[in-house]
Amino acid sequence: MNNATAAPIDNETVGGVQTDQMFINMGPQHPSTHGVLRIGLTVEGEVIVKAIPDIGYLHRGTEKLAEVRNFHHCVVLTDRWDYVSAMPNNLVFCLSAEKLMGLKIPPRADALRVIMCELNRVASHLLFFGTYGIDTGAFTPFLYAFREREMVLDLFEMLCGARLTYNYIRLGGVMIDTTPEWLTRLKEFVEYFKPRLDEYDTLLSFNPIFMARTKNVGCLTAAEAVNWGLSGPNLRASGVDYDVRKHDPYCGYENYAFEVPLGENGSCWDRYFCRVREMRQSIKIIEQALSKLPEGPTMAMGVAKIPKPAPGEAYAHVEASRGELGIYLVSDGGISPFRMHVRAPSFVNLAMLQEKLVGMKVADVIAVLGSIDIVLGEVDR
Amino acid sequence: MTQDELFAKIQAQFPKIEKAANPVKDYLTIRLPSKGDLLSVSLWLKNNGFDYLDMLTGTDYLGPVDMKGYIRQQNFNVFLPDGATPEIESAANPAYAYKPVIDLLWSFVSIREKARVIVKLELPRDAASVPSLAGLFKAADWQERETFDLLGVTYEGHPNLTKILTPDFLQGHPLRKDYAHVKDRFDE
Repeated sequence: MNNATAAPIDNETVGGVQTDQMFINMGPQHPSTHGVLRIGLTVEGEVIVKAIPDIGYLHRGTEKLAEVRNFHHCVVLTDRWDYVSAMPNNLVFCLSAEKLMGLKIPPRADALRVIMCELNRVASHLLFFGTYGIDTGAFTPFLYAFREREMVLDLFEMLCGARLTYNYIRLGGVMIDTTPEWLTRLKEFVEYFKPRLDEYDTLLSFNPIFMARTKNVGCLTAAEAVNWGLSGPNLRASGVDYDVRKHDPYCGYENYAFEVPLGENGSCWDRYFCRVREMRQSIKIIEQALSKLPEGPTMAMGVAKIPKPAPGEAYAHVEASRGELGIYLVSDGGISPFRMHVRAPSFVNLAMLQEKLVGMKVADVIAVLGSIDIVLGEVDR
Repeated sequence: MTQDELFAKIQAQFPKIEKAANPVKDYLTIRLPSKGDLLSVSLWLKNNGFDYLDMLTGTDYLGPVDMKGYIRQQNFNVFLPDGATPEIESAANPAYAYKPVIDLLWSFVSIREKARVIVKLELPRDAASVPSLAGLFKAADWQERETFDLLGVTYEGHPNLTKILTPDFLQGHPLRKDYAHVKDRFDE
């Protein structure tokens, strides 16, 4: 945790007018920081001259905790990073551990993993859609978004008993097979949800007030976005076509037909609209997966109760809701991971704030911070 | 571009570079001969399409993790039977060659070529210091601070090498294998 204190205050002359600088703490308890994030802002009038994001309030040391837990226990830890979309977290840990152990996953489990991750992406983007509306002054979309998000969470609850921390994707497959009833409910949701996406566009996406608030704010060029290491919708909003599902396919994503929505100039609105369009693609993937859901087992044979993978190193990455989520895993042949490193997308995405906020107006801080869609559980791990 | 073609291209430029003995599965992993090569190799990679620094981290290979680094309390929940919470003690694998080094790792991605190259560098634990890449890749800024905070690696020339995740009063670097917890005001 960095001790962000006020910059040395100097009275500069700007345009012949003597101005004072002021230090403002935004957060850690602030509704639009979406968790415990503090930004130390030094402002001159309404213009920001220095911004220091201060993180670590939620640091639980999961990388250290993993070193004294066995591989099955570690899946439980992964739920707690990005608690808004925990399925990709489960998945990425299982993928890297399965690489170490050399496990082969049955096709039905792969398809179920894809369905769950895409469903979770919809739930996570709905949360973004609702809260970003609130951040920029529109309360109504939040109510609509949460109505649909509840349905997804109910589906998850029906399937595995948990609404947020699922622990559903396990080493070697998934926890439990779906029931025919659940599949019917999922199909009902998909049919219900498709027309809602058009409703969202009329409600918020092309709302003139919302567009004026976000269209030319926080623009990032493609070169900047790549240099900052952004990933997910934040990178694609700047027009960079980088999606792990296309570049390094896992779980059979190469067999699904979907597009990767791209933005134009990397403004807050582009980042927002990339996510809204991604929901449509996710629904498309879910439909395809449902139409050709293979029969068979959902758990690989021969997954040890206490796995001891051979010494080695593995890296697996997935396109999580917030960007590229990667796990670097080292095994020394023991029952625990010797080292686990999480490449958390929110953590890397957040770093650009310290430079991009400088020169903006105070009111735009919320618009920019909301548009990069961070979850502090993942930033601090 | 296959991994072999990419490796041949890198080796034509830097003949001293070789493939790592402990590669990361499925990805091309190269090992730098010394830390002096880091900046020139990353600059070359950046100018040859690998302009996306995906991840950087490190591993301490001293040995199994020291249990003194964990705060373990008696099971205070009387309703839980003994052993209900995971209580695994770390144990050394006799067949594994531990050594007092920190193995650093950088992962560069070429978005256009859909390729990834992982660069490794081994450093002694007591002199873990490398040049910073924050000037070339802004993505390195916070990730280097994280590695500094958790693993105690110094990045020379980093603009703001301060703690980022752990609290100010925490002593030591938690992901070093010999880290021991020092009692602070939040214990008890």
